[in-house]
Amino acid sequence: MAKPRVGIYGLTSCAGDQLAILNCEDELLTLVSKLDIRSWVMAQSINDEETELDIAFVEGVVATERDLNTLKDVRERAKILIAIGTCAVWGGVAAMKNHLSRDRMREIVYGDRAQHIDTQKALPLKAVVDVEYELPGCPIEKHQFLSLVGALLHGDFPEFPQIPVCSECKMAENECLLVHNGEVCCGPLTMAGCGARCPSLNVPCVGCHGPVEEAHYNANYRALRAKGISKDDIQRKMGIFASPAWMPKVLVTDEPLGGNGKGKDYVKTD
Amino acid sequence: MSKQISQSIDIAHLGRVEGHGGIHVEIKDGEIKKVDMEIYEGSRFYETLVIGKHFTEVPPIVSRVCAICSADHTLASQMAVEDAMGIEITPRTRLLRGLLLHGSMIESHALHVFALALPDLLGYPSVLAMVEDYPDEVTAGLGLKKLGNIVQEMIGGRAIHPVNAVVGGFGKVPSKDELADLAKQLEEALDKTMSMVELIGSLELPDYSDPSNIYAALHNEEERYSYLGQWIFTSTGEKKPIHDFREVCNERVVRHSTAKQSLYSDKPFMTGSLARININSHLLKGRAKEALEQLLPEIPDYNDLHNNVAQFIELIHSVERSLVLIRSLVQDPLEDEEPIRQAVRSGVGVGALEAPRGSLYHYYEIDDSGIVTDADIITPTAQNLANIEKDFRTALTQKMGSSKDEIRAHLEMIARAYDPCISCAVHLVDVEFK
Repeated sequence: MAKPRVGIYGLTSCAGDQLAILNCEDELLTLVSKLDIRSWVMAQSINDEETELDIAFVEGVVATERDLNTLKDVRERAKILIAIGTCAVWGGVAAMKNHLSRDRMREIVYGDRAQHIDTQKALPLKAVVDVEYELPGCPIEKHQFLSLVGALLHGDFPEFPQIPVCSECKMAENECLLVHNGEVCCGPLTMAGCGARCPSLNVPCVGCHGPVEEAHYNANYRALRAKGISKDDIQRKMGIFASPAWMPKVLVTDEPLGGNGKGKDYVKTD
Repeated sequence: MSKQISQSIDIAHLGRVEGHGGIHVEIKDGEIKKVDMEIYEGSRFYETLVIGKHFTEVPPIVSRVCAICSADHTLASQMAVEDAMGIEITPRTRLLRGLLLHGSMIESHALHVFALALPDLLGYPSVLAMVEDYPDEVTAGLGLKKLGNIVQEMIGGRAIHPVNAVVGGFGKVPSKDELADLAKQLEEALDKTMSMVELIGSLELPDYSDPSNIYAALHNEEERYSYLGQWIFTSTGEKKPIHDFREVCNERVVRHSTAKQSLYSDKPFMTGSLARININSHLLKGRAKEALEQLLPEIPDYNDLHNNVAQFIELIHSVERSLVLIRSLVQDPLEDEEPIRQAVRSGVGVGALEAPRGSLYHYYEIDDSGIVTDADIITPTAQNLANIEKDFRTALTQKMGSSKDEIRAHLEMIARAYDPCISCAVHLVDVEFK
């Protein structure tokens, strides 16, 4: 069987997901021998940007015209497009303040002589193109990436269980930081895969893998409020990762959510 | 011959660097008209993202500025927040942070020297293409990179975007057994790294020395080669406290880049491994000192392309220094201690450290409820951009009349010698910019 033609791309990002791939030191040489890597600008200087691709991995958000064009071009050439990392899947940290004017943000950071700098609302890939698979994580977990590639090489469907960090935390027999310490822990709402890394270190989950499917937003919001945590504290903490995914669903009003439709707008966090 | 030369060179997307950048050069009638290090990485506006956040939430946010330097951004922001709040960390936290910083340095330098720069110098398109001819070197390089990650995983809880390092201390402390095992791996790595001194010494690097170059690095009062310091030293003999970092990095916005550029006294300067070696190498000890004497016998070294050699020397230093820190750590019992948290107070704080690519500054203003009201992050690559352009000019002047391909290769080599971290450099920001 011919090796699949692969492209690895980074849009606006910290390059953490590509680095996570490079960090598969023990597997990297095997990995490379199984794939025909046609483009990986971060790792090689000769890249083919014309070829059809069997698999394209894309990290980062669409935040410039250049990102948009790259993504559309890759989409056209790729049979399977895979969003890697929480930015590509949900918008991540970059989308945290999408409710604010980009012009204003640019002015605060660069001053008033920077209109030439192109900036757009930070969007996840699926807001712009169709995506076959998504692997969240900030950064992605190495073992999940390798099992994803393994599944594709064997003609299988890559799948990751839709369970929250809380489940992994219970399996690790950690004391609950929310129940015992009253800390805002995003574990109940966040997609697992990390092995409950943070709570196992006595550090509350910040939600870096983005939301798990069918999370119980309302119940968790009420549980946090019942611990005496203010709405502001909950909003702020939950507004760090995957904010556009979470904010419309929860934390819109101080009252338990009643589905009044107001949740469609992103909440202003400051 | 060179008088009639007119050409333009565009390197649209610089490979083997982190982030999105390119080089644009215009030469008319033998005269250099334009030399731009273009940066088109999109902006994420971190200084606005942290405004309105609680000070404990800042490190996990700004860590995402850049994956390769995520430990450095985490630590610099923690130090800045603690400075603002008057939080005094324990001696053990200091040791653990030092170890984390060395882990980051080992990972980043190994990645850069072996996977990104060495292919240039040996004539390969990537490290993966080198495997067949240089299997031992590639394996050793990847092994070192992995070791840097092991340190970051053990101390920081994760190799990229550390989670265990928090404001005031650490979530959990590694056990003595874990540290003993790490020390063993570091000992082995030290020997392996020393065995590559010869290879590094045999590399033929173009000479673009310029004695008018300016270098800047942090300097530690304790008079040891450290990535932490209370002072900024420049090769022009100036000494400034880190709180005055803006006097060294005067930032400006340029049309061809989403990253700002820094000038010192209106002149470009270099920060990073070579700058640190030029300013602090008399403090190196042990095998790092041996490697220095063999590889860079003349200090100051004004050839910026030697930055990769300086990184290699620092790799050895970081491995050695990690061993010293582990020895200090295991002297006392290693029980978990709660991170230091005290009553919130308002304040202004600066955190500075030497990241792999140079001096990194974080600045925060915090109100009396612990909420961030202003922020400023100045990254090493932003400081280096103007100097990279200066070095391009030096190379172009020397290479005038050479083939386009040769010039192009040399420009790429210069850019990569700096190990630019473009994600970092973008939106670096001075709110006061006028």
